Amino acid sequence: MDIINFMNKRALSLLRFVLILSTILVMTYSNKGLHFGEPGYFLAIIYLISNFILVRLPERLINMPAVSFAIFLFDIIIISAGVYLTGGVQTDFYLIYFLIIFIASTGQNTGAGIPIAIVASIIYIWLVHHTEPGISLWDSRFLIRIPFLFIVSFVSSYWSESMHKELKKKEELERFNRELKKEVERIAAKEIELRIYNEKLINSVASGIIAVNIDGVIMTVNPEAERVFGYKKDELIDYHIKSIPGIEPLYEKIESSMKNGKAIIREEVEVLNRNQEKIPLGCNITPLINPGGDISGCVVLFRDLSEIRRLEEQLRHSERLSYLGKMASWVAHEIRNPLTSIDGFAQLLFDIKDEKKRESYISEIRQGVKRINNIIDDILTFARIKRLEFTKIDLKNLIENTIGNMKVKYQLNCYTEPLIKGEEEAIRRLFLNLINNSVEAMDENGMIVINIDAKNGWILTEVIDNGKGIPEKDLKNIFTPFFTTKPRGTGLGLAIVKKIIDDHNGKIEIRSELGKGTTCLVYLPKYNNGR
Amino acid sequence: MKKRILICDDDASIRAFLREALENNYEIVEADDGKEAVRLITREHFDLLITDIKMPGTHGLEAIERIRERNKEIPIIICSAYRLMEDDIIVKTSDVSAFITKPIEVPTIRKKVFELIGS
Repeated sequence: MDIINFMNKRALSLLRFVLILSTILVMTYSNKGLHFGEPGYFLAIIYLISNFILVRLPERLINMPAVSFAIFLFDIIIISAGVYLTGGVQTDFYLIYFLIIFIASTGQNTGAGIPIAIVASIIYIWLVHHTEPGISLWDSRFLIRIPFLFIVSFVSSYWSESMHKELKKKEELERFNRELKKEVERIAAKEIELRIYNEKLINSVASGIIAVNIDGVIMTVNPEAERVFGYKKDELIDYHIKSIPGIEPLYEKIESSMKNGKAIIREEVEVLNRNQEKIPLGCNITPLINPGGDISGCVVLFRDLSEIRRLEEQLRHSERLSYLGKMASWVAHEIRNPLTSIDGFAQLLFDIKDEKKRESYISEIRQGVKRINNIIDDILTFARIKRLEFTKIDLKNLIENTIGNMKVKYQLNCYTEPLIKGEEEAIRRLFLNLINNSVEAMDENGMIVINIDAKNGWILTEVIDNGKGIPEKDLKNIFTPFFTTKPRGTGLGLAIVKKIIDDHNGKIEIRSELGKGTTCLVYLPKYNNGR
Repeated sequence: MKKRILICDDDASIRAFLREALENNYEIVEADDGKEAVRLITREHFDLLITDIKMPGTHGLEAIERIRERNKEIPIIICSAYRLMEDDIIVKTSDVSAFITKPIEVPTIRKKVFELIGS
């Protein structure tokens, strides 16, 4: 039994020494006494030696129920021999049985008490009968002694059992306390470890992190936040975020996030650092919600966008330069061609006498001037120099007038009231460019389908052709100015389309499949009583 | 018999101007792209080709290359809005006889044509 060491080996051998001492005392003070050389004397010696052997036996062996039962049986036999040697029923030696039964009942093997009591009773009855054959079983001494053996066995077993239970409970409680203590220590260690880990994590993040409590007091700051704001951790922690000069705009966002309980994602906020330099920050602001569901603060994760802004500006600058270069080249080429015919026909005018020819030269010159004017229009549209004047436009009429002048097969379907708000000339230009592109992409059997419909507050116009389509690699560049795949293309057609659509707060999508055709989806704001 | 000049330019007004400037002394034939120019030169005899560079369809330089594969003798004048060596205008000088930048001076083109093929 894996229970309390209530009767461990040491206690057992001590009790057995008491038992031996009692045996020797009883034998010494019995009628016969204990004398050297007599059997009783050797019995006491054997008993003593047996106990010394028992002390040497391993505890595991002693604790085995069969072994402990055998030990008690041995004790019963020794005591019975003592009873026999000291005069049977006349002697008080039987009292030692009570001691053995008590030891057996309270020992490791608590169940051994009753069998030992039975064995002791049988041996005692037999022994007394043997020494005094005439004695009756109903003799008062038997009637008292035998039941008492059992009573002692029951009582001591019960007491021992209760004791065992009590001790077991105590031990379990102690074990539980020990485990609880260990668990508390483990959790405390884990918490420290976790805190260190969190700190390391926060400190190693390349983005800035600050956390504030519900009152706006800064609780956590990482090194990147220190760097961006230009303040040391000690100058930020435990201070109200509003008290840090320059970062008030951030507080406004934090306050709004905590008030609404909603995260603010990818918000750009401009703050001032300690040196009063403007720092653009890209922020994600997330309210902290405690287990009770209440907002307990806010955590701000931000990136310093200064370098990105600088690179963007550099890129814009080089793009501007690149556009400027491309534009200069484009303008030079586009203008030189009509200029060549204007200048050429003007030179020829000097020598010409034929009136008809003169008129045709003048007509060529005027056409050249018109072309140059169109080019200037393109530049102005693209550079958005011209001010747009918005009016109500009937898109169906406008497209019909535009495509009607072109030599192309088309079908125009209108499923809604096609009214938009825009600048008529720009919108005409937009569809002229789109339809021109479609025409150029198709062969003589090509056909353009134009559908006008309303969709989510927009007027959606689909321009569908069955031309050769646009390769996927070109699709992403089609709105880039001066990007062209056409030998004579200026690369401004779709860039102008995009510009016009942007000026009208509209949007455009282009879907294309090689060999099948292209669909342009143009979304323009619906005309809404002048708004 | 007048000498024959093939004018290749996608811009009709330029072709018209060159025709007006030269047709008194030469027979003018027009092509509106490089492919047409190659086709005509392969079939017919011409004494001179005046061509633009940037054209839809077959590019002027590509046309010159193909023409040179068939005809190494014919003089070629390039008339371009771009300057020589500008952007992607890389011409093998052995292939062309003259390079004229637009706008074109009437005396210049007449003189150049005369130098190359006489009248």
